[in-house]
Amino acid sequence: MDRLKKKRSAIVMSLLLVISIALAGCGSNKEEQSASSSSPSASASAQSSDSGKKPLDPYEVVMVYPDGKQNDLSSVQSAMNDYLKKTYPEMNMTVKLNPIDWSAYGDKINLMMSSGEKFDLLWTANWMNYESQVVKGALLPLDDLIKQYGPDITAAEGNLLDGARRGGKLYGVHVHQELGNPQGIVVSKALVDKYNLDLSALKSGEFKDLEPILKTIKEKEPGVTPAVGPAFPLDAYFNSGSMESIIGMVGLDQRNPDPNNPYKVVDGYETPRYLELAQLTHDWFVKGYINKDATTPGIDIYKKFQAKTAFASIGSDLEIVKDMAIGNASPMANKSTQLGVDLLQIPMNIDRLHTSKLSATLQAISQTSKDPARAMMLLNLFYKDKNLLTLMNYGVEGKHYVLKDGQIALPDGKSQDNVGFFHDNQWQLGNQMLNYTRVGEDPNKYQNYEQFNEMVKSQPSPLFGFVFDPEPVKNELIAVGKVQSTYDPGFKSGQLDPAVDLPKMISKLKAAGMDKIVAEAQKQVDAWRAANGK
Amino acid sequence: MKSENRTHPVIHLFFILASLVCIIPFWLILMISFSSQNSLTKNGYSFWPAEFDFAAYRYLIHDAEPILRAFGVSILVTAIGTVVSLFLTSALAFSLSRKEFPLRRFMNFYVLLTMLFGGGLLPWYLVYTKVLHFQNSLLALIVPGLLGGFNVFVMRTYFTTSIPPSLMDSAQIDGASEYRTYFSIILPLSLPVLATIGLFSIVGYWNDWFTSLVFINNDKLYNLQYFLYNTLMNAQYLQSIADKAHIDAASSPLQPLEELRMAMAIIAVAPIALVFPFLQKYFVKGLTIGAVKG
Repeated sequence: MDRLKKKRSAIVMSLLLVISIALAGCGSNKEEQSASSSSPSASASAQSSDSGKKPLDPYEVVMVYPDGKQNDLSSVQSAMNDYLKKTYPEMNMTVKLNPIDWSAYGDKINLMMSSGEKFDLLWTANWMNYESQVVKGALLPLDDLIKQYGPDITAAEGNLLDGARRGGKLYGVHVHQELGNPQGIVVSKALVDKYNLDLSALKSGEFKDLEPILKTIKEKEPGVTPAVGPAFPLDAYFNSGSMESIIGMVGLDQRNPDPNNPYKVVDGYETPRYLELAQLTHDWFVKGYINKDATTPGIDIYKKFQAKTAFASIGSDLEIVKDMAIGNASPMANKSTQLGVDLLQIPMNIDRLHTSKLSATLQAISQTSKDPARAMMLLNLFYKDKNLLTLMNYGVEGKHYVLKDGQIALPDGKSQDNVGFFHDNQWQLGNQMLNYTRVGEDPNKYQNYEQFNEMVKSQPSPLFGFVFDPEPVKNELIAVGKVQSTYDPGFKSGQLDPAVDLPKMISKLKAAGMDKIVAEAQKQVDAWRAANGK
Repeated sequence: MKSENRTHPVIHLFFILASLVCIIPFWLILMISFSSQNSLTKNGYSFWPAEFDFAAYRYLIHDAEPILRAFGVSILVTAIGTVVSLFLTSALAFSLSRKEFPLRRFMNFYVLLTMLFGGGLLPWYLVYTKVLHFQNSLLALIVPGLLGGFNVFVMRTYFTTSIPPSLMDSAQIDGASEYRTYFSIILPLSLPVLATIGLFSIVGYWNDWFTSLVFINNDKLYNLQYFLYNTLMNAQYLQSIADKAHIDAASSPLQPLEELRMAMAIIAVAPIALVFPFLQKYFVKGLTIGAVKG
């Protein structure tokens, strides 16, 4: 009897437990629902009160962005608030800066969104979950808000904003910045001078013309690596100079001479150009021009320049300077100052205008914002108000920076480490071109950017405006990625012989579903062409 | 007769190799932390650096405040967490080990359930932030690690198998209450298992960086592991950002020094490595006895 009772009580208890768990689940669901349903109504009331020309209620705009620790964050924040109060009293808003460490940014933003935490402006990017945030509905559509409160955003960005459209709606505002990226060769100036090397051969834009120079270095400077990895032509150059990437190595072959078929999607590994460059890289590796440890993760090529054990790096990202042209050598000013070693840069490729670039750094407004209108007003200020932008990026004048000939310098006796606010993430917010430059940078940096942007804009990618939806081939992409990660480092560093290993890789890629990805990309490209009359 | 006592040389060799496998990476880390930056970029990693340099440690001492604070947080959390956790775990395990306890089966099932099913990250986060409001407090670092189902079962098994029930009976005949039995009889007799679970708990608290990542925004409350993780990940991100966002490469700062990272690793490992030898003698006993069926 006793035993039976015990058993029964155990069953009852476990039932109770199950019920309580279920109830707890429902409870939290309800709460979430009510939270999400209340926020649009709150924003609607804010908008209606605005149109009624009543003075706005005070509002605190919470800005979330990734950044390391800044000791003087609170003093910068109060300086921004003083400035806002004085200059824009009608907006009646304050800001709260909420930086999150880079290491935690993705996870924390995710948790904040899921838990319905209140925040307003956030930084996001297509490589930082922008797409999934849009799908989840965590970001507010911004078209109407920009129309109403963002005139300066539209003025600066114009139709470039469209690059962040998803399903016809805008969820993120592009930061006004450089629109592309030059890649090319970086060489040590000391060695160029020492052997009186002629770099003009590179005007051809072909990497193979660098070979005689690498040979000279190899023969005459035993301690120096002629071409240090991991950056190599296969990476940067092939992708953008020879191919319009759709997803990874799948894209349009720009060297395909057939004029009737410019929109044919191919697997980049199967193009003759890839084989040619892989062969060249392998050849260099065999001849000993490339460091043996080029595939080791975490190698910093610039440290090798600094230690004077490197002559050239191939495929690196270059600085944007005045009048960039393929093959033209110019000093790499900022990096040289930073390292204390003179470097020259030679562009071998200049990006076209790609859609993906326009969502590579965005500001968005969270679904949990209680007053999206005010968030947009603040965002708009960062596109027109140099003072506000300077406060955000460089801190308080006299305390965190001083102006020397119109450039930002650190106050006397201060270094980056102890100045209290060295945020230096200008690319995260607003109109970058409004910023001051730092001492040591080209004072015309932003004019150069504008000039560069004109060049990039004049040459849009044939796929400009197209956004690939990876959803239908998600599994194939993962499988293909695995094959790539086993072979890519070997080809990029020249350690694998493409004559032997490239066919192996291609057949493994096919087994992993490469053809399906290509077919899907082709399907989406065709649909996009039909819809846009390309 | 001597040969009977001698261990077979193959066994010796095996353990020598096994020890080397453990010691060599640690040695390498130690040596890198002593290398000068110059010799690192020129020669790469080596087991005996060409140039010795203590710059990394000097730098750590120079900028010691955040590290010392993180150290303090870690020590505090580990100490409080371990003591409280041991008390809660042993108390629960003691209850579960008593056949007289009416809810025994249900509670056993309940503890087992927590081992099999977790709520997932989001509910976990919601409970601690929205219900308990532990965000940005040391409680957020301590409370999540207090009770583990596995530890409770290891202790329960130890209590049921290695403490004779007659001992408890005689204690109760002598008039001891349950509390008295628990504190004066059970706990003193359970040192091996307490030490074992205590060590699990110490290592768990000491190595935990994830709760810090989730709940702590205030950098004054970062624990040591998260501080180190953060330093490394921030550097890595800054490097990868330059590729991903195509940011002017010049504006991204250089990676922190390799030897500094290794020096940090040494600093993080040292205390736990020092604790281990003192608990080791209980370690073997505690686990094996717990595993033998009575």
